[in-house]
Amino acid sequence: MLLNFDRLGWWKLVLIGITLLTAAFLLLPILFIAALSFGSSQWLIFPPPGWTLKWYQELLADPRWLESAWTSFQIAIIVTVLSVLLGLVTSFGLTRGRFMFREALKALFLTPMILPVVVLAVALYAFFLQIGLNGTLTGFVISHLVLALPFSILSITNALEGFDKSIEDAAVLCGASPFEAKIRVTLPAISHGIFSAAIFSFLTSWDEVVVAIFMASPTLQTLPVKVWATLRQDLTPVVAAASTLLILLTVLLMVLVALVRKGLKS
Amino acid sequence: MSKPFLQIRGIRKEYGPVTAVHDVNLDVAQGEFLTFLGPSGSGKSTTLYILAGFEAPTRGDILLNGETLLSTPSHKRNIGMVFQRYTLFPHLTVGENIAFPLKVRRLPKAEIDAKVRDMLKLVRLEGFEDRKPAQMSGGQQQRVALARALAYDPPVLLMDEPLSALDKKLREEIQHEIRRIHQQTEVTILYVTHDQEEALRLSDRIAVFSKGVIDQIGTGPELYANPATRFVAEFIGDSDFLPCDLVTAANGKAEIALAGTTVIPNVPVHGKPVAGGKAALMLRPERLRLMRSAPGGATAVPVTISDITFLGNNIHVATETARGDALAVRLPFGHEAISSLSRGDSVWLGFDPASAHVFC
Amino acid sequence: MLSRTDARAPGSKAPAYRLRLTDFDLTLPALGLLVLFFVVPVAILLARSVSEPVPGLGNYAELLGSSTYLRIFANTFIVSGLVTLVSLLIGFPVAWALAIMPSRLASVVFAILLLSMWTNLLARTYAWMVLLQRTGVINKMLIALGLIDKPLPLVNNLTGVTIGMTYIMLPFIILPLYGVIRKIDPAILQAAALCGANRWQALVRVLLPLAMPGMAAGALMVFVMSLGYFVTPALLGGTANMMLAELIAQFVQSLVNWGMGGAAALVLLVVTLALYAVQLRFFGTDRMGGR
Repeated sequence: MLLNFDRLGWWKLVLIGITLLTAAFLLLPILFIAALSFGSSQWLIFPPPGWTLKWYQELLADPRWLESAWTSFQIAIIVTVLSVLLGLVTSFGLTRGRFMFREALKALFLTPMILPVVVLAVALYAFFLQIGLNGTLTGFVISHLVLALPFSILSITNALEGFDKSIEDAAVLCGASPFEAKIRVTLPAISHGIFSAAIFSFLTSWDEVVVAIFMASPTLQTLPVKVWATLRQDLTPVVAAASTLLILLTVLLMVLVALVRKGLKS
Repeated sequence: MSKPFLQIRGIRKEYGPVTAVHDVNLDVAQGEFLTFLGPSGSGKSTTLYILAGFEAPTRGDILLNGETLLSTPSHKRNIGMVFQRYTLFPHLTVGENIAFPLKVRRLPKAEIDAKVRDMLKLVRLEGFEDRKPAQMSGGQQQRVALARALAYDPPVLLMDEPLSALDKKLREEIQHEIRRIHQQTEVTILYVTHDQEEALRLSDRIAVFSKGVIDQIGTGPELYANPATRFVAEFIGDSDFLPCDLVTAANGKAEIALAGTTVIPNVPVHGKPVAGGKAALMLRPERLRLMRSAPGGATAVPVTISDITFLGNNIHVATETARGDALAVRLPFGHEAISSLSRGDSVWLGFDPASAHVFC
Repeated sequence: MLSRTDARAPGSKAPAYRLRLTDFDLTLPALGLLVLFFVVPVAILLARSVSEPVPGLGNYAELLGSSTYLRIFANTFIVSGLVTLVSLLIGFPVAWALAIMPSRLASVVFAILLLSMWTNLLARTYAWMVLLQRTGVINKMLIALGLIDKPLPLVNNLTGVTIGMTYIMLPFIILPLYGVIRKIDPAILQAAALCGANRWQALVRVLLPLAMPGMAAGALMVFVMSLGYFVTPALLGGTANMMLAELIAQFVQSLVNWGMGGAAALVLLVVTLALYAVQLRFFGTDRMGGR
């Protein structure tokens, strides 16, 4: 009866209570930041003594914020495209292949996801210092690609494993060349996996801080690096404004995901 | 048979040390409905996949109208196929699924539309063209798959256990559909199944596969009346087997001894008979006569009844010989057994030696 | 290539449609990327730990022989352990509730989980920096409630790190655990009840053991992630309470001591891989993480 919601009795109230408290614990800090970003207090007093938009004005007036956001966006988009393309090709190889060490190879592809980022950050930093990629867009893209690729491979491999190869075979017997069958039948059928791969890759790059801190140069920094550098100095409400915009972006992304999922289902 | 339309010549398929198909030879006539019947792992599906081009044979050749198929890639073989699993393209509607092979052939739109309508009519799914596969039952999906496979008028249609995912009633219904469509289109069909009833119901001829080899090819009645191997006898129809000793054998007939004493002459014999060797006598449960007392002159085996089961249109009587061999008998409903016989009764099972078989 | 294609007898012509590329070849670009920009740099870094400034194990001796560094290791393990424990204690009931509650309510909680996970890490950490500061809302509330007289030091110490990390790690334990509990057939618990088990017995003897693989996998993932976490400890912990990832960064960035940096990185890697090996050994290749 423990898995029957209606027959839990007073345990039900306890479970619901814990769940709602946890949900509040997860949600309130986010709402709190959004509220503070409109508060007039320089010292982030809550509840704010008055309301203002000046932190947003300050944020938008500073070209370094906008530049870093633009840099982040460029990197994230390039990483997303490369990660999905590379993820697709690799996943086909991993899912369809019957070669030795396939499982080991798969594990290797997923390792950057589970190893501490700081190790990769330090290692790449040293490596890029030597080959002159530090502080370059290419350097950012490569390092974020290494971090994003596992998510892409995982999403697409999952989708491909759930896709019955017979359907692709059927398309081939219908007269489509193996490549045409993949484009016209397999890709549409695994589009949900490709979409997840894109979202995860984008978020991985867009939110990435640790590698970026090492990779950044005075002339090229991403948005998280800018936030990080600002936070290391003081707790200015401008960061609250920036954070609120980032939260807004997350909400938009979630709505997009929900819409696409719905679209894919019907 | 008319001139061979499709010829399978010594096809062999090895996976490393395992040989899945052993030198299969087969001629198929145009318009024929030929079924590969056998248990899983008998090589029937592998042979079909070689025909489709998804597997390359280790050796051998396949000729269609006298020309080899093996150098043609799958997508240019122009062969139709219905798979065991549902393989409709999930993102396309029924109409788009059927149109798919025509679109990749770049046919004009009007022609495609007309063909899609014809095909929907053929499988009796008019009005379903805008449905997505997910909105249809398994039986409907397989009918669409059939329509899609036939849309480009393939010379050969391959069907790989297309009904195995459906329940019994639906299966029978679609078997009728397949028969009708075969008669209507006159397409040559190669059908794979492990279900003897399905094979008997659909096919012109059946090729019985066992361990990568075709044991026997023939029409259903031929296989039933004259099984070439014990395996075929077991696979087509029900069968009882009694161990026996071979006394003499000549010209396909044997004299055997049952339980050391009863000598039965003139039984058709298969395999490599060796006088004095061990053999198995095959009897059909539905052709055994149950008698209460020892028959004068007729061939019969004394047995004890171990169980009686009522199965609707017939009665299944399980019996045992004095040596402990099991013999099943099937009696029509209304036979006296239902009322007057009971477990433990001693009876005689009579049979006609000419309809029995001995396998060595 | 290392790959094997279908065995084909010599002389039999390979069908023309087969691409020359084998499936293994398809993985080569990604493999190249990974080897060049992951395996090689990490290997170089680790190599430097035994070659700089002089060849030998001097860096490791220093790292494992100094009380300063040992305290950092201790901090790291204590905080990671605490975060894991608290996440489990909160995560299990939440995952359980999510698995059985009406789907409408569950989807609201899921949306919150997702929002929290997907919101920028720095934004979330920033929120806790503000909330936990001396003049922050939490201290004010506690004073207003009369629970304390003067503000508690909640930030720039391990308390702050633990709270902030738990906040970040919770979804990583709830989601996999939800998946595991969701897959348990309710009939098993009905059977337990019919066998005479009361609720506590059913919970302790049936539900918890069945959820154990998920709990263990989730706990291990959270523990390992916490061990190597950099951002949150750096912002909420302050300089006096460093954790391992910060130490590595500091060796490299401020001290430019690649030898020590590499040594510390190796320690972190070895612990991480050892823990994953334990997980693989005892719980199979259950899916690792995801976001």
